[in-house]
Amino acid sequence: MFSKRLFIQMSLGGLLLTAAGCNLENEVDVVLPAYTPELVVECYLRAGEVPRLTVVESGTYLPSKADGTGQPVITLPTAAVPTLGLGINGITIQVPVDVTVRLTLPGGQSVPLQFAPGIDPLTRKVFTHIGTAPLAMQPGQRFGLDVRDTRGHHVTGSTGVPTFVPIDTVRYASNGVNGPEQRFNFVTRFTDPAGTADYYRLLLTNQRDLNDSEGDYLVSDQVFDGQSYTFPTTYRFTPGDTMTATLFHMEPDYYNFQQSVRGAISANGNPFAQPARIRSTVQGGLGVFTILVSDQRSVVLK
Amino acid sequence: MTRTSYRAATVLAIGLLAPQLGWAQARHVLSGQVRGTDGTALPGATVAVPSLGLGTATDENGRYRLDVPAGPQNVTVSFVGYLPQTFRVNLSRSQQRDLTLAPNANELTEVVVQGQQTLEEKLVTTQMGVERLSIREAKLLPALFGEVDILKTLQLKPGVQSGGEGSSGLFVRGGSSDQNLVLLDNALIYNPNHLFGLFSVFNSDAVQSVDLYKSGFPAQFGGRLSSVIDVKLREGSREKFTVTGGIGLIASRLSLEGPLGKRADGQAAKGSFIVSARRTYFDVFTRAINRANAGTEGYRPIPDYYFQDFNAKANYTLGEKDQVFATGYLGRDVFGFNSFGNLQADFAWGNTLGTLRWQHTFSPRLTANTQVGLTSYRYSLGSQVDVASFGLTSTIRDYNARVDFDYDLNPAHNVRFGASFTHHTFGVGRLQVETADNSLNVDNNISYTALEGGLYASDNWKVSDKLQAELGLRLSGFGNDAGQVYGGLEPRLAARYALSNKLSLKANYALMYQYAHLASNTGASLPTDIWYPSRLSVKPQRSQQVSTGFSWLLFGGKFLLTDEVYYKWAQNQVDFRDGAQIFANPNLDQEFLFGKGWSYGNELYLEKQKGKTTGWIGYTLAWSWRRFGPQRGTPGINDGRDYYPSYDRRHNLNVVVLHQFNTRLSLTASFVYTSSAPTTLPAGRFPLQNVPGGDILAVPVYPDRNTYRLIPYHRLDLGVVWKLRPVRFGTERDLTFSIYNAYDRRNAYFVYFEISRNPNTDLIDGFTAQQVSLFPIIPSVTYNFKF
Repeated sequence: MFSKRLFIQMSLGGLLLTAAGCNLENEVDVVLPAYTPELVVECYLRAGEVPRLTVVESGTYLPSKADGTGQPVITLPTAAVPTLGLGINGITIQVPVDVTVRLTLPGGQSVPLQFAPGIDPLTRKVFTHIGTAPLAMQPGQRFGLDVRDTRGHHVTGSTGVPTFVPIDTVRYASNGVNGPEQRFNFVTRFTDPAGTADYYRLLLTNQRDLNDSEGDYLVSDQVFDGQSYTFPTTYRFTPGDTMTATLFHMEPDYYNFQQSVRGAISANGNPFAQPARIRSTVQGGLGVFTILVSDQRSVVLK
Repeated sequence: MTRTSYRAATVLAIGLLAPQLGWAQARHVLSGQVRGTDGTALPGATVAVPSLGLGTATDENGRYRLDVPAGPQNVTVSFVGYLPQTFRVNLSRSQQRDLTLAPNANELTEVVVQGQQTLEEKLVTTQMGVERLSIREAKLLPALFGEVDILKTLQLKPGVQSGGEGSSGLFVRGGSSDQNLVLLDNALIYNPNHLFGLFSVFNSDAVQSVDLYKSGFPAQFGGRLSSVIDVKLREGSREKFTVTGGIGLIASRLSLEGPLGKRADGQAAKGSFIVSARRTYFDVFTRAINRANAGTEGYRPIPDYYFQDFNAKANYTLGEKDQVFATGYLGRDVFGFNSFGNLQADFAWGNTLGTLRWQHTFSPRLTANTQVGLTSYRYSLGSQVDVASFGLTSTIRDYNARVDFDYDLNPAHNVRFGASFTHHTFGVGRLQVETADNSLNVDNNISYTALEGGLYASDNWKVSDKLQAELGLRLSGFGNDAGQVYGGLEPRLAARYALSNKLSLKANYALMYQYAHLASNTGASLPTDIWYPSRLSVKPQRSQQVSTGFSWLLFGGKFLLTDEVYYKWAQNQVDFRDGAQIFANPNLDQEFLFGKGWSYGNELYLEKQKGKTTGWIGYTLAWSWRRFGPQRGTPGINDGRDYYPSYDRRHNLNVVVLHQFNTRLSLTASFVYTSSAPTTLPAGRFPLQNVPGGDILAVPVYPDRNTYRLIPYHRLDLGVVWKLRPVRFGTERDLTFSIYNAYDRRNAYFVYFEISRNPNTDLIDGFTAQQVSLFPIIPSVTYNFKF
């Protein structure tokens, strides 16, 4: 809830300002609870696209030099090229090479995804396994996932194809100021199907950097079932920006996973938060296996 | 009804109906009210017939009743800080006698710390697990920012944990903060905190006394599992108009009290009133700072914040048998933020209550108190971001009526019985979202109603000179607007056996139900937490507690040593599944998880009340546990394994010393040590690349809940009360100096992880753990006055 978040952020901001002003923050050594690494699976299927999947291993929160798994360690490229977001200089991502992946299609056919690490040149996302043919799918169909390594890890998952919910309109408005202070807001509107529990994610991106979102919102239709709903933004975009709105209609498991991820991240540094466990959509490990069904609209702000 | 409840009911019935033997000599009731010369009632005063070894203490209204044999007797009335009074009676029938005690200036120089119970009274009472605090005690102790806080003073008693640095939150014997029944003149306060628990809602100038029950709950109390905090407001002076106030570092207070009604010559007025107000002034400074920086680039305005509260109480004696009381309270916290135009947010919360009580004396043996009132708690959150506005409100409003009878059946039996009835309206949440162009308009309102009632009876039975028992039974019930009805019997049993006139053994048992639940998905208690009624999928909470111990007067009665062992177990404890959405959720009950809780410990308490040096030492060794198993398609909490709640503390040591150098100068010190608080820190993490266009994230993985322990907490506070010479006769002034956290200990409020970056490349090169402390050493001074 925006208002509650705002209130907590303001309170927390004041608290940290006070703490910093009085030198009430100091670095400490902590001994964190023991942690056993798990396989982390990230797989987003789309109709008409060749399936890709990323398998890595989770690590201890405070990284150590060596983990003793014996697996090859790939130190990802420097900041000049895409990374997995954890930087470089000693922080590495464990990419296991002993993992086999099989995808179960709606008809029951099981197809392997081959280990072939690479980087998508467009999205700059890393993948470790890839299929051979584009997928066909219809709403309501289900896909399955089976991921194993040679050390006993076994991750499984199942997901369905959501229905398509279109964006009704996107529009923008100026703050009424001319010159360098002119800013635009951006409004996305869609209509929720009545009678079903639906979950949505709206992603706003700016053409200037397609891999850095300008807004990422989760919402369920609990309070607007069957009605139109609008995502407004503040006046923060500049003339000439090309804004793209992508509306995902989500499976409940994916919505819960996204919520838990956000809760886990925001709990760091928030004394009022109750840290949440990650609600993975897969069993036997961490991560997400889902199907992306989305509508997209772009507009140049002028 | 459980087997235990049947047994308790049987025991109670036997107690109530037992033939009364051994009281053959004609006796009559001597009754009345004890007041100070300023007209205020004196609760806890002793009325005794020393030659017969008879005695009693006045109740919360200063009233007493004593069965006295016919014939001439000398009766003494005494109260700490007042001159004792002796008078002679020759009773041939029951008689009412009101008394007025004058302050003893000499005794005040020596006696500093006094609760309302003397050590001797604590020894002989059947009640255990109760802490009685006089406001004078609280006012002498050093306080954060100089703001006297009765709830923080209660935290210095054994068995009571605070919610964290500077917090007024109380966690009693392993119970959570919403399991405390907080009463202000018998009316419920739903949120007793200002500013996230840093201050309590009770203005020390308006408070007469506070009783905290940790176990052995009297049968008239119900509705919460863990404790009863019974706060009584002062009655104003019946003699003269008086202004009391204080000017402190962050807040100021002002009270006015005086007589009501005509005064006959030499007689006190028939009634009195007191009104008190308090307000903080952080906002005065922050607004000035914001105005001064309004044009500065990059300046982020400081949010405005203040709290204020207003208390009023009036009483009036209608005749020999009737007295009426009216109490009102209004408190508000207001939080505002305006980011120079494009973002505006307002947040306000607070309690409102009003009560009217009629006290009627049917006979010297039977009195009744009838009270009606309303209480409500409300928060509202509103923000305006450019063209969109958001509003969120939640309320709980109660209309309450209750009647309580107090009947002296004979010298061996004092019976209390009564009933209470409450109509609740739970405004669980109203969410309003709209945009200026009406493209978005959401108005979602979730509200429930319920009725809650209770019937009770208890008998304080003096079985013999050595054995005394309190047998109580409460029948509680709750019905909601969906037609679901819950209820149960709540036996309350307590006993005291005197091994000698210096040593008593005590034991008690209590069963409690709680029908309203505080919905909070944070680790702390916030004003945005929501009260939720028992419904089909949210069953009432239930707890049982047994405790036993001894009270031992030492060194000629100068010290009282008490030791209590307790075990408490509770069912239907409420928590939320991870990631629960509690705001504007029409299916909020589906987010609840239910589990068990249990706690046990030992509380050791050594107290000294008389002499120039007074104080206490309390030590608690305790464990608290929770278990939430798999349910509702979730693995529960911690996959169903046991865990410690965040307020579990193994050791807790409190030392409080007060020393009076002379009539004008007092020195106070309090030291607190608590062992490490459990908290949850991430053990692992993994990268999440996200969908195309989404941000790449490092996601922390949290292990079992509360598996990490912060550093132990300890703190020394020092205080000096310096009474200034009065500017004219009858006035009082003092300066109260406090040093909070005198040796500047950096206690841990929380720990978080910060990303460290290479200063040359600005690239992430690691994570460091940062410990945040809340308060360094904080000196303060408060000027208090009375004229």
